[in-house]
Amino acid sequence: MDDNLGYLFAAFAVTWLAIAGYLLYVGQQVKTLRDEVRMLEDGDDAVR
Amino acid sequence: MRKVWSLVWKDLLVEFRGREFLGAMVVFALITIVTLNFAFDLIRGDREAPGAGGLWIAFLFAGMLGLGRSLAVERDRGTLEGLTLCPVDAGTIFLGKFISNVLFIVIVQAVSLPVFYALYNLPSLRPMVFLIALVGAVGFAGLGTLFSAVAASSRAREILMPLLLFPLAIPLVIGTVRATTLIFQGESGDAWPWFNLLAAFDVIFVTLSYVVFDLVLEE
Amino acid sequence: MMQRNPAGRSDTLVQGLGLLTVAVLTLGIFMAFVYAPTDRDQGDAQRIFYIHVPMAWLAYLAMGVVLVGSVGYMWKRSERMDRLARSSAELGFLFTTLVLITGSLWGRPIWNTWWQWEARLTTTLVLWFIFIGYFMVRAYAGDRERGARYAAVLGIIGAIDVPIIHQSVKWWRTLHPEPIVLDTGGPNLPDSMLATLVVCFIGFTLLYAYLLVQKTRVEWARDMLAERELTALLSPATDATDRRVAGSVTHEVSGAAED
Repeated sequence: MDDNLGYLFAAFAVTWLAIAGYLLYVGQQVKTLRDEVRMLEDGDDAVR
Repeated sequence: MRKVWSLVWKDLLVEFRGREFLGAMVVFALITIVTLNFAFDLIRGDREAPGAGGLWIAFLFAGMLGLGRSLAVERDRGTLEGLTLCPVDAGTIFLGKFISNVLFIVIVQAVSLPVFYALYNLPSLRPMVFLIALVGAVGFAGLGTLFSAVAASSRAREILMPLLLFPLAIPLVIGTVRATTLIFQGESGDAWPWFNLLAAFDVIFVTLSYVVFDLVLEE
Repeated sequence: MMQRNPAGRSDTLVQGLGLLTVAVLTLGIFMAFVYAPTDRDQGDAQRIFYIHVPMAWLAYLAMGVVLVGSVGYMWKRSERMDRLARSSAELGFLFTTLVLITGSLWGRPIWNTWWQWEARLTTTLVLWFIFIGYFMVRAYAGDRERGARYAAVLGIIGAIDVPIIHQSVKWWRTLHPEPIVLDTGGPNLPDSMLATLVVCFIGFTLLYAYLLVQKTRVEWARDMLAERELTALLSPATDATDRRVAGSVTHEVSGAAED
């Protein structure tokens, strides 16, 4: 019975880690977007 | 409809003049069938199931070879663009390629089945086996024609096509091998439900591939 | 050339969705660990069921949405539909992976085996490969438009094939019956377990909806920027266009940044 708890925690842990990991991944995409947008805006200023 | 047949005829002519890959397909199937002897014990005991499975592995891989080559050759030669310039719609091109591919696979099967019988003394020449072989070929060629077109324009075409095709063709594998096993075991009557599954699969996926082919050929 | 953000929801609605998701999921986890009774036969490992089953539902729901997006793309060549399809495919892949892992972790202590070739698990494994194929096709297609078209092909064929694969495996397996795996109580599920399951179901579905909205927004922003870069390469863009694109992208990006 106690052994089974290990599997239970592993399953929950994997799930939350995976979801958190995915959120981080999307966050990273957002960050990249922000950087690109900043480059665009800087490019504008430079042209002017 | 006549356009379809001219496309098929073109493919057949190209093949028999250039001997591009049909020969290779046949040889590959035969060598696989021979290799079965070393992979499985097809001499004693329950030979029917591994025999049927091995036979269909030979068909699938040989078919894969031909499907992959067929559109790759066209693409390399630039004849694929030529096809898209013709005043035929995507569905017609699909049908032409599809029928040619069915024919090529059937030819491979027609050569393989007698050889298989001779080598393993399993009843692969029963008419029901031919019927199952045909429905299997039709389904496999249907999806295979579609996905060889998808994979043809990519860098990783050799790996991409099997990767896409094998998972989707699982019902075909299940149906054909189970049916063939039953026929080998002398219970052909029990194979009819599997035939129905295969026939339904064929109808659904050949139709779908025909409809969806439009997405593939736009350039 | 400028498209309105396709998600169409206001930021507060999405934020609300996010908060609701957190609330329901927290409740669900609590119920799964504390409220739900311990299973007689399977012990505490059975609680994995409260993640595994909703995940399986989500994996197939996500594939269904991929089908919708793919058909929409085939019909209308709508970028929005393609964004929907590829965002849902990402989520579907995530959830399918989790179904397989939680399924293994559940099966191992109970049936002493990491895997069973029964119909549902087998179909889920095949679905996993279909999702991989979906992304490989996009990656190897060479350009985005072709990638979208080919992915739509796989989305349609794959989605329709999945139930057929399931049936074939099932019919095959009835010839070699195996112990029914990974079921709890079946129709006699005690009320408390059922309630927990329902709450987890709703919570995870909300999570999917929330992630899908955020992901499609991010994809929209990426598409806009990619278009902008392409235009810049081809011709000098006006300052006004740049600033307009930059402005709307910033808006979307900050909206998508909430977790």
